[in-house]
Amino acid sequence: MSIQKSWAELQTMARAARLVIETLDLLEEAAVPGATTADLYTIARENIERAGARPAFLGYRGFPATLCASVNEEVVHGIPGTRKLREGDIIGLDLGCILDGFFGDSARTVAVGPVSGEAQQLLDTTRDALLAGIDMCRPDKRVGDIGHAVQAHAESRGYSVVREFVGHGIGTSLHEEPQVPNYGPPGRRDRLVPGMCLAIEPMVNLGTPEVEVLEDGWTAVTKDRRLSAHFEFAVAVTPHGPWILSEPYPYAEFEAEAANA
Amino acid sequence: MPEARETLEVEGTVRELLPNALYRIELSSESRPSVTAHLAGGAGSTRLRPGDGVVVEIAPFDGGRGRIVRQR
Repeated sequence: MSIQKSWAELQTMARAARLVIETLDLLEEAAVPGATTADLYTIARENIERAGARPAFLGYRGFPATLCASVNEEVVHGIPGTRKLREGDIIGLDLGCILDGFFGDSARTVAVGPVSGEAQQLLDTTRDALLAGIDMCRPDKRVGDIGHAVQAHAESRGYSVVREFVGHGIGTSLHEEPQVPNYGPPGRRDRLVPGMCLAIEPMVNLGTPEVEVLEDGWTAVTKDRRLSAHFEFAVAVTPHGPWILSEPYPYAEFEAEAANA
Repeated sequence: MPEARETLEVEGTVRELLPNALYRIELSSESRPSVTAHLAGGAGSTRLRPGDGVVVEIAPFDGGRGRIVRQR
């Protein structure tokens, strides 16, 4: 069972989520040919600290940075370093922060310069699969409905979804209950209730769904070394439907009611 | 940042009965064609024969071992 957040807590969650998105916008601009993944990490860390927040991934289970930078066949958990981006690469940027005690966590995969049609399609499909999953975040649904929607969308386009890593509840910890897989049958797992906050994050592969972890103990790559994309938003379940926390509250007509609940 | 799963459930088929109540299970997953598995607690008194379909719990990234959590 996940922890339900109050309206006031959701406001803080939303500020943390927005800071992550603003920082990702900066990183997307900076992800140009010749930049290193360590350059991106520096930008991320400075922007988060300037806003009075703390990096969320740094030191998490020993992870050495606050940004996961995963290039091409790297699925997630890439460690920023001296690798130089080249035109045609795609890079997954996964970033977290802690603001006033609450975690923000979001990811997107961006193109470095012009990329192949194949790569662009993978990015578009992964993002759409995430949105299909988010659309399930309603009080009459269950956690399994999210994964089912993600998987159905990705596989209908001929891609595969990663099983070894999953989305998660988020709040005063980076990873809270429940786990949110990106696959599986609908109608299973926990019932969604208003106030739940979930980080939904499909990892979609061009080829086989299988991944392996490199010797650094973190970097996950596709087994067949073909491209992989990853998008993530933190979402709150509200009585009226999903709220992507980095966006304005979408049910403005109910806002007074929500604040008094 | 995604959470790493501690276990994955995969479908398989009993291929061989081994000593010590172990079974060789052929998996439907491409990366690991087979694992040696024992029966999990709940499935304890089940007798399996070659050809039976099972669901096996495995660790995502290592080992050729698993536990049989149920028949299918």
